[in-house]
Amino acid sequence: MRSRRLLNGYPKMKRLLSSVTDGKGFDILLVSLPLLFLLAFSGLPLLYNVLMSFQEVDIFSLGRLIRPFIGLDNYRELFAAPEFWPIMWNTMLFVVCSIAGQFTLGLALALFFDTGFRGSSFLRGLFLVSWVMPGLVVGAIWNWILSGDFGVLNYLLTSSGLISENIFWRSDVDYSLWAVVLANIWLGTSFNMILLSVGLAGIPKDLYEASELDGANILQRFSTITLPMMRSTIGAVISLGLIFTLQQFDLFAAITSGGPANSSNVAQYWAWELSFRQYDFAKGATVSTLMIITVMIAAVLYVRSTRHEVRI
Amino acid sequence: MSATRHTRLLLFAAILLGAIYLFPLYWMYATALKSGSEIFAYPPTFIPRGLDFGIFAEVWATRDMGRFIWNSLVIATGSMALVALLGTGCAYVLARYRNVWIDIALFLVLMLQVLPASLMITPIFVGFSALGLLDFPRFAVMLAFTAKAMPFFVILVRATFMSIPAELEEAALVDGNSRIGAFALIALPLARNGILVSAILIFMQAFGEFVYSKSMIQDVTLQPASVGLNGFMGPNTVEWNKIMAYATIYVTPILAAFVLLQQRIVSGLTSGALK
Repeated sequence: MRSRRLLNGYPKMKRLLSSVTDGKGFDILLVSLPLLFLLAFSGLPLLYNVLMSFQEVDIFSLGRLIRPFIGLDNYRELFAAPEFWPIMWNTMLFVVCSIAGQFTLGLALALFFDTGFRGSSFLRGLFLVSWVMPGLVVGAIWNWILSGDFGVLNYLLTSSGLISENIFWRSDVDYSLWAVVLANIWLGTSFNMILLSVGLAGIPKDLYEASELDGANILQRFSTITLPMMRSTIGAVISLGLIFTLQQFDLFAAITSGGPANSSNVAQYWAWELSFRQYDFAKGATVSTLMIITVMIAAVLYVRSTRHEVRI
Repeated sequence: MSATRHTRLLLFAAILLGAIYLFPLYWMYATALKSGSEIFAYPPTFIPRGLDFGIFAEVWATRDMGRFIWNSLVIATGSMALVALLGTGCAYVLARYRNVWIDIALFLVLMLQVLPASLMITPIFVGFSALGLLDFPRFAVMLAFTAKAMPFFVILVRATFMSIPAELEEAALVDGNSRIGAFALIALPLARNGILVSAILIFMQAFGEFVYSKSMIQDVTLQPASVGLNGFMGPNTVEWNKIMAYATIYVTPILAAFVLLQQRIVSGLTSGALK
């Protein structure tokens, strides 16, 4: 009451205040504070990153905004670096194989649990522990499992006769990337499965009954009902997989550190390494810029596929 | 008869699949309980010979884990509070309206969700060091992590608000409530569970955060448990039972919370990520 009397003399203030408590101002305030925060701590760094990739940055000019502008030199040097194309190739292999593995296993598990026996939803939920664990812990566990001489995976593979001598997963240039892919598939399978389960649950069951009456076998039902009905879910899951896989950093830090000799290095780890191991922030920013553009394209695909789903 | 046998068979298969999938987790616990020589036994022992629980107290003391875990808790609590404080209102407004501006804001939020931390750390580090924020490294990590995690929170909580009928708030407005009143007294209590579950997910993520802490916190006394674990795993380490004991102490609380809240977390997650 007192505040109202106080504000009587200031009609403008009063209107503003009442708008904030009771009108459009309320919504604008609620939405603008977080958006300003996001713009300050995500948007600005993003632009700053692009700016840095066109500048010459050294330890002395690190704190300044205005630095010598060198055009595309950073990009030119980067493309000419001998490790550039191998690392890009690794990134692509890592992304494609991780997603393929996570998606296939996730879909198989989702189909299995979709049969809906008692306890299925509880057991299915348990799988998600791989996803809530800190990435570094997952990396540490797999680092130990994949150990060359004493790793349990090598023991299981040799004793079942699949390999004749131990594979040095982390230190052999032919296997180091696959060590991380393996851990990443394990990490992401459960998340894929949960999202695909939601899509499966949304398919009307009478569609299956009708086609069963028409004499369709299980494979035909899968390809004519399940896959088409799941199209937008699959689109969303795969683009989310792309986004998460390109964010994966902890596993590289915990298992191979990108080595040996960059054989398991990928762009998102390399960018960090350039900045924080070699203190070449301009190159780090350049790799980051290239990758952020890639991720943005994936994000547009994701948004489009979720939009699609809402309309249905 | 055959129907129950069928479901029993399925349940058995499901438990078997679960056991295979969760084997790495079991291996962490099993290794932690082995002695320093038993971990190098060949063939490996799948059930530890003698259970040595003293290793946890030993690792806790020698690796200064109390300090590391405390720093993780500080970072996770601060990030969660900041995310919930800023994100809830944003999610509410984005759920209640449908127009071009909301679409643009939503698109922006979705886009900022996907930026990988390991790529954003370069400009954030350079910018923060210029602003002097790196003198308060844990706070700097909170700010950076909040910006990274808030979009995810907004999308999950927005789905919760969308499931609450707007008519309830309209009725409150007719009864003479202000907009703030309708939001605080009607919408917030109804969305409480969704907000809580999403906040817990953010807490779990922040508790395991690594990239920002590793890059921005140089002072070892301020580093969180993830950085501590990374420091423990040198390239030629042989103390795998101790590393796994460290990992056990670090993740068991998270796993316990997850198993307790499992159903809610799963349903919260699925409603948000696909809608």
